[in-house]
Amino acid sequence: MSRYAYYPGCSLETMAATYHVSSMEVAHKLGMELEEIEDWNCCGATAYSHVDELLATVLCARNLAIAEKQGLDIVAPCNACYKNLWTTNAALKRDPDLAEHMNYALEADDLHYDGGIEVSHIMDAFSTPEILEVIRQKANDRLKGLKVAPYYGCQIVRPRRPGLELSQVDNPQYFEELLRAAGADPVPYPYKLRCCGAALMVTNRRAAVQMVRDLLQNAVDSGAEVIATACPLCQTNLECYQAEVNHAYDADYAMPILYFTQLLGVALGVGVKRLGIGKELVSPDIVLKRAKAGASSASS
Amino acid sequence: MVTTTARTLSFREEVENLLHAEEGASLVRCIQCATCSAVCPVVEFMDHTPRMLIGLINAGMKDEVMASNTFWTCASCYACTEKCPEGIRPADVMYALTRYSLWRDTFNRDWVAPEFSRRFTKTILRTGKSYEPGYAPAFIFEGGFSGMVREMQMGLKLLTKGRMPLIPSRIKRIHNLRAMVARVMPLDGIE
Amino acid sequence: MSERKKVLIVDDDPDFVEGIKAILDTTYDTEVAYNPKEGWDALKSGRFDLLCLDIMMGRGAEGVMMARKIRKDPVLREMPVLIITSLREQIAFLFPGQAVHPGFVPVDELVEKPVDPDMLLKKAAAMIAAAEARRAAK
Ligand code: SF4
Ligand code: SF4
Repeated sequence: MSRYAYYPGCSLETMAATYHVSSMEVAHKLGMELEEIEDWNCCGATAYSHVDELLATVLCARNLAIAEKQGLDIVAPCNACYKNLWTTNAALKRDPDLAEHMNYALEADDLHYDGGIEVSHIMDAFSTPEILEVIRQKANDRLKGLKVAPYYGCQIVRPRRPGLELSQVDNPQYFEELLRAAGADPVPYPYKLRCCGAALMVTNRRAAVQMVRDLLQNAVDSGAEVIATACPLCQTNLECYQAEVNHAYDADYAMPILYFTQLLGVALGVGVKRLGIGKELVSPDIVLKRAKAGASSASS
Repeated sequence: MVTTTARTLSFREEVENLLHAEEGASLVRCIQCATCSAVCPVVEFMDHTPRMLIGLINAGMKDEVMASNTFWTCASCYACTEKCPEGIRPADVMYALTRYSLWRDTFNRDWVAPEFSRRFTKTILRTGKSYEPGYAPAFIFEGGFSGMVREMQMGLKLLTKGRMPLIPSRIKRIHNLRAMVARVMPLDGIE
Repeated sequence: MSERKKVLIVDDDPDFVEGIKAILDTTYDTEVAYNPKEGWDALKSGRFDLLCLDIMMGRGAEGVMMARKIRKDPVLREMPVLIITSLREQIAFLFPGQAVHPGFVPVDELVEKPVDPDMLLKKAAAMIAAAEARRAAK
């Protein structure tokens, strides 16, 4: 059975609580164990790097050290947390002076980091060949024919990890494969790697609203009925600010935005409540209907 | 006796000194191909495109660069960094310039982005975790009254859906975290 | 005339370096490195009687990192280190009004910018003399 140190990140306790519960449900169904990193702290997001890169490093180093103490590799569901933890891990492994200095800081919390673990995005853990096979076997047909735009976001693939070819990050296919394994029908979504605006929603509203508009329009043009995301920032910007886009552009977008784990959960027969579906500001009717249809046919 | 005077340092070298531990290629290699600008999703909101900014740095136009909103507008999407044919990492340059503008106090007090980063950083030092409702004020004074009303309406909906906590959570060993930070930022009052 | 002592300045601010180098040049042979990496290379390739070190460089407070590394080096640990910093101002945006915490900067002396030329020369002379006395006592 696969076991990971799970780093939820701050959003998963608040805005993205549904990403957390659905990840847990799906992991459970797939026989995967997610052990939360004990007393984890914020990864620093982009703000710490704006101010001081060493402060950003010290925040991530603490999470890495605790996970190493738990003896497990890390999975993170948020693109930004994943990128920060991953980059810090790589920097600590490559730069002994930096590692020494961070270990001096870590002493203040009785911790030490030896560079003995790896960091992955939670989607990587859910799309290994073995897990994909399990999903194929266990998936029902509730997502059959559902047109899903696979929205990767930025930092899940960028900056490129060493050893990856440009083609692998230019047009990745693992999200599509995962959706297919769950029975859904991923549509070609040209903007799948384009930025959602992230914190610009606070710091430069006009820019972020336009970025979200472009992503929504591109999904509509692609024939998508729902956008699947792998990041709480992407989900929040695309979903909670859809009304803001409609206001700014006199538009009427009503595109449901769900976490990929919520869709996987539906395919694996988890109830919508347990997946947190229904807490959106843009109702995912199409998915709810399918989930219920499946539930009634299952009970009949 | 004549001693050598200090080597005059170009602005490009100053910027590259901030990046001495990073992996990107030297900015002198920039061929001004504009690939970075073409893939940048926020380019139209920047005073200078990423290409122009690198060009200005190489030309030593420090005042123009520091007055530009470009690096505070960057969304850190790394599209430029992925595609630069010369191996330059413009996204890292943007971070270097935000640091520089804070340390040398050249940032524009009217911009929301530095204030947001300050609030964010302080929140983590206080609690160990981020707290979204705490950042809204950074936006609200830019969004005007109607923006504020819409923001509050959304906040209320999120609240009723259980997606917006009223109380920020806090890590257990926050004092240890602060002591860690004091070891890399040696100031009184952090611990 | 006795041989002039050698001083290394590691600081990323070219304007400040120009000023302090002009002061130190009156008495010492001074060299400059504008980032910690170059600074370390200079320390490893020559012998210096004094290091004047800035704090905020590169990624953050790298001066602290460098001072700690020097204190762990069997040879370099004997060299006196004088921190000259405007850390307080540089990070006032985040921590207004906080003083530098000397406990976390393992150096002999710490002064804040701007520096008074006479004071700087006196400090430099005293620190170099003290280091020589320490060596002689061994
Ligand atoms: S893509 Fe690279 S080489 Fe081309 S303009 Fe941008 S930084 Fe310069
Ligand atoms: S990282 Fe910044 S500068 Fe580069 S493409 Fe993205 S938003 Fe533009």
